[in-house]
Amino acid sequence: MRMDTVIMGGGLSGLTCGIALAKRGQRVTIVASGLSTLQFNCGSMELLGCIDGKAVTSPLEAIATLPQGHPYSKIGTDRIATLAEQAKSLLDDAGVIMEGNAAANHWRITPMGIAKPAWLTLFGHLHIDDLNQLPARRVALMCVRGFFDQPNGMLANGLKELGFEVEKIEFTTDDITALRRSPSEMRASSLSKHLVSNHALLRVADQINSLTGDAELVLMPSVLADEEAVRTLQSMVNKPLRMIATLPPSVPGARIQTLLRHYFRMLGGNYLMGDSAVSGTFDGDLLTAITTAKLGDMPLKADNFVLATGSFISRGLIADYERVYEPVLGLDVDADAEREQWTRFGVLEQQAYMGYGVATDNNLRCLKQGKTISNLHAIGSVLSGHDAIKMGDGTGVSLLTALAAAQDILGNK
Amino acid sequence: MVTEDIYNKEYDVIIVGGGVTGAGTARDCALRGLSVLLVERNDYSTGATGRNHGLMHSGARYAVTDGESARECISENMILRRIARHCVEETDGLFITLPEDDLAYQRTFVEACQSAGIRADIIDPEEARRIEPAVNPDLIGAVRIPDASIDPFRLTIANLLDARMHGAEALNHHEVEGLILNQGRVEGVKLFNKLKGEHVEVRGRVVVNAAGIWGQRIAEMAGCKISMFPARGALLIFGHRVNQMVINRCRKPANADILVPDDTVCVIGTTSDRIPIETVDDMRVTREEVDILLKEGIKLAPSLATTRVIRAYAGVRPLVASDDDPSGRSISRGIVCLDHAKRDGVEGFITITGGKMMTYRLMGEIATNAVCAKLGNTAACVTAAQPLPGSEEGAPSQSDLTKRYSFGQRAAIGRHGSLAARIEKDNDIDNALVCECEGVTVGEIKYAVQQLHVHNLVNLRRRTRVGMGTCQGKLCSCRAASLMGEMSHDVKRAQQDLASFLDERWKGMRPVAWGDTLREAQLTAAIYEGLCGLDMAVNTQGKEDQQ
Repeated sequence: MRMDTVIMGGGLSGLTCGIALAKRGQRVTIVASGLSTLQFNCGSMELLGCIDGKAVTSPLEAIATLPQGHPYSKIGTDRIATLAEQAKSLLDDAGVIMEGNAAANHWRITPMGIAKPAWLTLFGHLHIDDLNQLPARRVALMCVRGFFDQPNGMLANGLKELGFEVEKIEFTTDDITALRRSPSEMRASSLSKHLVSNHALLRVADQINSLTGDAELVLMPSVLADEEAVRTLQSMVNKPLRMIATLPPSVPGARIQTLLRHYFRMLGGNYLMGDSAVSGTFDGDLLTAITTAKLGDMPLKADNFVLATGSFISRGLIADYERVYEPVLGLDVDADAEREQWTRFGVLEQQAYMGYGVATDNNLRCLKQGKTISNLHAIGSVLSGHDAIKMGDGTGVSLLTALAAAQDILGNK
Repeated sequence: MVTEDIYNKEYDVIIVGGGVTGAGTARDCALRGLSVLLVERNDYSTGATGRNHGLMHSGARYAVTDGESARECISENMILRRIARHCVEETDGLFITLPEDDLAYQRTFVEACQSAGIRADIIDPEEARRIEPAVNPDLIGAVRIPDASIDPFRLTIANLLDARMHGAEALNHHEVEGLILNQGRVEGVKLFNKLKGEHVEVRGRVVVNAAGIWGQRIAEMAGCKISMFPARGALLIFGHRVNQMVINRCRKPANADILVPDDTVCVIGTTSDRIPIETVDDMRVTREEVDILLKEGIKLAPSLATTRVIRAYAGVRPLVASDDDPSGRSISRGIVCLDHAKRDGVEGFITITGGKMMTYRLMGEIATNAVCAKLGNTAACVTAAQPLPGSEEGAPSQSDLTKRYSFGQRAAIGRHGSLAARIEKDNDIDNALVCECEGVTVGEIKYAVQQLHVHNLVNLRRRTRVGMGTCQGKLCSCRAASLMGEMSHDVKRAQQDLASFLDERWKGMRPVAWGDTLREAQLTAAIYEGLCGLDMAVNTQGKEDQQ
């Protein structure tokens, strides 16, 4: 069957683009490998967090100062505010309820207790608008006994440095203790599967209520699978209760991924799970079809294609012994030729390879051997010119380039 | 004993250097009843001891060129199989001849092995392909010899543990800044405690310089001149264990001609370059070294071409100019023990150097003999007969392990031998895995922190292998840092330590940062910087101590 658009990659950008197109009546197929950096999500989206090591307070203003090669500059900085609004309401429609706005960053609290700038934060997760006006003074930090993927000591110390009075409280319930039988089971994802029923949540609430004394705010690791579980537990606990992201696997990230996927399917989208694009057929300046690992000699044909295969982590980009390349379609990439240039000596320095990605024109259309492929857009982390780590722009670039590409595709029709 | 009490004692012997030679010497001295202090400027096994193949040479490699070294090797090889069996994996090895090599060399090689007392059996290439499927199938000849794989970190710690059980003291992160000299005698060492930033002096009747390549500097502090010839070798670690036997090239020793299976990985090496003594602290591996190692490694085992390289590192062997040759051109490859009283008129000072990791025990014996001669001690050396802690009679066999213990406990017994019995495992938390790749439990980390001189994550990695598996410490380093922070009640330091640890891991990954290794690096950055904000929490200037 011929599709209107085929999207390679089913992470945050691929799903967002797919939803935007399906909402406008397009027939869309997403080819999704199953790998997504939402696995490391912090429960927040970042539009622009840092420039030159300094925290950004007003992302919309700061975006206007970005260099030309940055995806936001390509989209056009005048469109950013509108696209950001659209992204928030798209997430809302999918059931991903987030708080925040693009005019002013708020602060999310990391698993190590560091305050980092964020644009949107998932419902039920701790975020602070103004670090000089903390929402509470006495905080009870709930630590699940034997759960090592929340570094409790560092988290408590970070919260203290922000000005909270923190008491660490270890707790467990029968459901949680049962997980201990296997030494590697105590992960956030397995906790989330066991803390679903009202009964299991009530036992957690009982512990919290009996142990937290005069605390004004209760914090716990983000190990609840969905919004319903968060609301239920909040209603059972007699104090304000907020979640803090854990080390991977990220339960809030999995929640975002699941909700977007369900919404895309509800809109009639076709999500090919566990498959990935392996090659494409070109005709002049058009991509006419792609083949996938599982469909073999049955190519997927479409009017438009979107490359949303991610960065090195997701294998959207590959570095081998000699060069950096885009493995599916052999597209042009922006990357240094010499291996020595890819990295820097110190692990926490800004690494050049983070900014590598496929080259595009200002409409995010890909280039192959210097020629624009007019029906192929690239979106998200596979794009060059941004740095999710040092600039805190990863999720924002994914969401906004996805919407910008969708508009371009719809406008082309 | 608390550190202050250690400073205030006077010792029979102070040993400078916490590599395997220093540790072996400390053990021998302690077993002969001497009071011993060992000092190390970084962590144990930081120098050449922790920067080689992990190969337990049969001696075959030296048989043609250096018969004496070959005989020392095979004799020590057989001793280590008895006294350090918890550090040794008996893999055996092959010396293969490739079409580009001269098959006639095989005959010379086998004869030289036999005259050195090394078992060397010529086998059919077909047989070689059968017993070692990873070997280059184009080989035209193969010889089977008793090489093995050895864990130098474990071996060093086992020697130190035994020394401590016999009354010795050891201090890591203590750098020798000078020697206490009095009328031509060395009477102790001036130390800098790098953990606390304190300067102290400790007195000893004899000082043994076992500082490897850094020994030239220590000797200079006593006004003695030793001409070292630093020989640098770079190596690569591959992400899984491609070969089950050691694979060598049957030709004159050359670059990158040994591939050793170590635990869950394998190691190719080494290059060999003379470097100026001033550069011995710069362990960065160059692109040229990586290129040579890959090119030659693939000839031993072609599947290395498609195996992930997880790390590159380099070490410096302390070769010494022979004292008989004033030109300094003739270099001794054997053990060199210098009594500076006879050589330079400086009493109370001995240097033990040259040699190989394989002969560390013999070096310890020779150095201890020299110390005992000075102190009038007549006790006999027992280190060749007495097993190291962890390898005593009655330690559990491999089949016992599979039947009776969990994965974490089995891995710990593999690492610590019978000492694993001291690891807490009575409750579910102590049995919980911190490092899934290497099977390190909470209990093992507690044991290492309390008993094995662990002050930071790099120390912990050397004692337990935490973070050494294919993920190179992606999640386990945070879990371990968090645990150590809670044990030491100094969370801030644990966070800084975590950053230093990631930096140390990165130093080895950077020269081979392509493919999945670059991918892992981006993943680590996404977790520790993106998700956690570690870069915003710490001072990013890496500590010099954490090289």
